[in-house]
Amino acid sequence: MKRTLLFVALSAALGTFTCAHAQTGKPIFIGEVAPLTGPAATVGTRLNKASKMWADETNAKGGINGRKIELVTCNDEGRPDKAAACLRDFQEKGAVMIFGNSLTASLRAMQPLVKNGPLLLIPSPNVVPPADSYAFQVSPSDLHLTEAIAKYMKENRLDKLGMVAATDASGEVGVESAKKVFSDQKMELRLARIDLRATDASTQLASVAGQDVKLVYSSYTGAGAVTVVKSFKILGLPQPLMVSYGNMSEAFVSLIKDVAPPRLLGTSVAGLVPEEMPKGADRERARAFLDGYAKRYNEKADMINLLGRAETDVAEAVLRKVSNPSDSAAAKKFLESTPIESFHTQKFSPTNHVGLDASSVMIVELKDGNWIKAQPISGR
Amino acid sequence: MNLFTQAVISGLMIGAVYAFLGIGLVLVYRTARILNLAHGETFAITGVAAALLVKAGLPLLPALGLSLAIALGFALSLHRFVLRPRADWPAGTLILITLGAAFVVRGVLILAAGTDPVSFPALFTGVPLRIAGGVIPPQGIALVVLGFGVSAAVGLYLSRTRSGKQLLAAAENPYAAELAGVNVERARLTAYGIGAILGGLAGVLLIPLIAVDFQSGLAMTMRGFIAAAISGMSPVGVLFSGIGLGLFESMVGAYLGALYQDPVMFFLLILVALWQSRHIRFGGTRRA
Repeated sequence: MKRTLLFVALSAALGTFTCAHAQTGKPIFIGEVAPLTGPAATVGTRLNKASKMWADETNAKGGINGRKIELVTCNDEGRPDKAAACLRDFQEKGAVMIFGNSLTASLRAMQPLVKNGPLLLIPSPNVVPPADSYAFQVSPSDLHLTEAIAKYMKENRLDKLGMVAATDASGEVGVESAKKVFSDQKMELRLARIDLRATDASTQLASVAGQDVKLVYSSYTGAGAVTVVKSFKILGLPQPLMVSYGNMSEAFVSLIKDVAPPRLLGTSVAGLVPEEMPKGADRERARAFLDGYAKRYNEKADMINLLGRAETDVAEAVLRKVSNPSDSAAAKKFLESTPIESFHTQKFSPTNHVGLDASSVMIVELKDGNWIKAQPISGR
Repeated sequence: MNLFTQAVISGLMIGAVYAFLGIGLVLVYRTARILNLAHGETFAITGVAAALLVKAGLPLLPALGLSLAIALGFALSLHRFVLRPRADWPAGTLILITLGAAFVVRGVLILAAGTDPVSFPALFTGVPLRIAGGVIPPQGIALVVLGFGVSAAVGLYLSRTRSGKQLLAAAENPYAAELAGVNVERARLTAYGIGAILGGLAGVLLIPLIAVDFQSGLAMTMRGFIAAAISGMSPVGVLFSGIGLGLFESMVGAYLGALYQDPVMFFLLILVALWQSRHIRFGGTRRA
């Protein structure tokens, strides 16, 4: 009897030790779906840099609750079919959460696949996750960005906007938001679509930038956005040109610096201009990331990198504060009930899975190669 | 600003690009009977190389010259070391090999320049020209003039000169051409070389107005292919199909919207293909 008791006690002790060891030693597996090649590579590689930076920094500090982060990236090439396959693979391998660092079409393909978890974090503004899903958007939505543009126009007493939007899924989202917001605000929207293969945007600009239009907005991102800026300059249009927030990068600025129109504006989260942020703690977080990123990669962090940081801040909060982060329901409940501190506080709720709103958006302006808060538009 | 005039100017610029890319494809097809899907890579190689060289501090003209030489080297190597040793392989396989070469170039360009678009300054600078309510920059004028001028010159060279006709004969019947004293290998190398220079020139003239990245090549091949296919792979016809396509694309974009561009363009392509294949479908021996 004594022997049996001793055996049971030893087994229990050994079992506890083994469990505890597994809990503290087993890496936390996080899957990242990102287009590292293909048309959206410029977005995927930027978000991937922010994810990697977070994983490396966290692991260098000993991980989270004694567990290292194991970040595995699957390159979906911006293809929805491949994105879905990547996500299923991560689910089978038991990913604790997934970073959906791809574009609209891929995110739309992935979102229905996480009905029962794990958490899918989305830094894109174009896909608004339903509140009953396990997907959470860490960016202001495209609607929020458009509302911020409308607010800026209102402040400057402008009532007409010329807009150039691409013919892809992202462009479609931008057009829908613009039609809704500007119609609600009783503002006139002049819209022209541009093909992704376009080598000239002068026709589109000619059709939307009449003399009575004091602001032109291009919701295009990437190489196409450069085409719009160059055509704008060639036409010699006098209005300020506003570009979408995917273009708030050093690469974009270096491409258009010699051909920038008289005033180049952009939509951004306020974190890109920390000195304009009202809360000291938010300002410090944004500055710390921007500095850390510049030091690590020897380049300026941009909007997309910042959204990558917002995503990893949300991920880290879940991993630190939820006792079993693999329990997707518990993680979801935590996010829906707890504001997450980042350079902008992310506030999700049981009825809203978008963490930021229009108040986190700032209209910025390029001055001497840097983005600053946009000045008013004169010459009305 | 006049929308119609601007659409015409834009159409001419787009058309010049179609012609530049189309004539290179036609040339290789007519001499080697291969649809070279890596043709547009000469555009991307020239653009990315020029942007990197200018960034590294090389003056613009030497950078452009060196970039064109790299593109030329790529095209000649593709023929000499990849396609020629496999000349007896089925044409379909060779076309797939050129597609593979295009993807290899993509990979190399990512390694060299990353995934962000790059560009370089315009060769022709100055105040844009304003005509009848439309605007065209000096680089745009050069693109239109050289695009159509060079394409016309190549078309005339092939159809009117002895050496041009030898080039075409090398494709129609290489064995007979060889018996007649035509150096078939040299003819094919010449075709790849001229095609590469034209693709590279398109890059030199267009990229300062836009930007280029690692994946621009296949898009450019597609543009060239549409123009070439509509012309029936004719070295003279591709000039006119280029102008027509450019103007058509621009007008559809201006008056119907860019969402209609692809459906209308590809519908047009199908109609032309059906028209060109009428002899095959209804009997006869005429080749497209």
